[in-house]
Amino acid sequence: MTQAFLIVLRVLAVALLATWAYRLWNGTRSWTARAVGAFFSAALLWQVLGGRW
Amino acid sequence: MRAFRCLVWLEFRRSGVWAAALLGSLAFWAWGLFQVRAVDVAQQLGIRLLLLGIAGAIGALVLALMVGRLRGDTRAGLFQMLLMTPPTGYVHVGTRYAFAAATAALYYMGLGGLAWWTLRLSGLPLDAGTVAQLALGLPFYALGVSVIPLLAWTLLLVTFQSAYRVSGTGWIPGTVMALGTPFALRWLVNGIERVAYALPGWPVLGSVGADLIEAAQGIAEDPAVSVSLEHPALVLPQEPLWIMLALAVVLLLAAGRIWQEVEA
Repeated sequence: MTQAFLIVLRVLAVALLATWAYRLWNGTRSWTARAVGAFFSAALLWQVLGGRW
Repeated sequence: MRAFRCLVWLEFRRSGVWAAALLGSLAFWAWGLFQVRAVDVAQQLGIRLLLLGIAGAIGALVLALMVGRLRGDTRAGLFQMLLMTPPTGYVHVGTRYAFAAATAALYYMGLGGLAWWTLRLSGLPLDAGTVAQLALGLPFYALGVSVIPLLAWTLLLVTFQSAYRVSGTGWIPGTVMALGTPFALRWLVNGIERVAYALPGWPVLGSVGADLIEAAQGIAEDPAVSVSLEHPALVLPQEPLWIMLALAVVLLLAAGRIWQEVEA
């Protein structure tokens, strides 16, 4: 039960982060801002997918 | 150079009150340190050092708020006006940063002076080298490791948010950066721990250091407390300083670059 709940939570977190990453990529014309956004989004995604919960 | 001087003057007009209040708060902390009346000298020293630590943390917070007031600037129209001025984004970011860093240097040197005064009040013997380290060496080390990169991170945060000003999604970059930073910081700290003491360390505080190491060894004998004495407590590794200063430069360059691109 707990494992299933955590999997659902991870899927929701990944969906939210993917939406934010899309908005960060398309919301500006600055390539440096895109790179910064990609770095921090990747750090969060890495934590969600590979981190210990 | 003229543009830099002009922007420094503007920064002084914008943040002069903040800087004056922060530097004036040193008088309050001096008064607070003098009010500590514990009977035990070790307790007095502990409470005073704790107060100095709190003063350092509050100072870092105030400085970060001082450089990060871009949202207020945007509302007041100052940011839009600055974007249209001839100086490059690097000059704008550099000026704002230089003013805050200079204020931080003065504030933390003042705190170093108060630490020296605290140790004198506790009756610890201090030689000239120790006094110089307390007033200059340690404040600059603490600045380089913590406040300098924190201010650069804050500037990157506000310029990063400003890049999304037109699309109206400023809260998303702010949230992603604030949430992602602790994880990135954990990787950074792990990396620094791996390379620490690869270069020769810096022994600090001379004669006072021996007394404090003795006290730390006393604490280490307590089974409830775990203190690593693999390296003497008062030999500072130099790697964190260089790594954090390099990180601050990278963050500032990124902030300046974003300003340039937003301007374009």
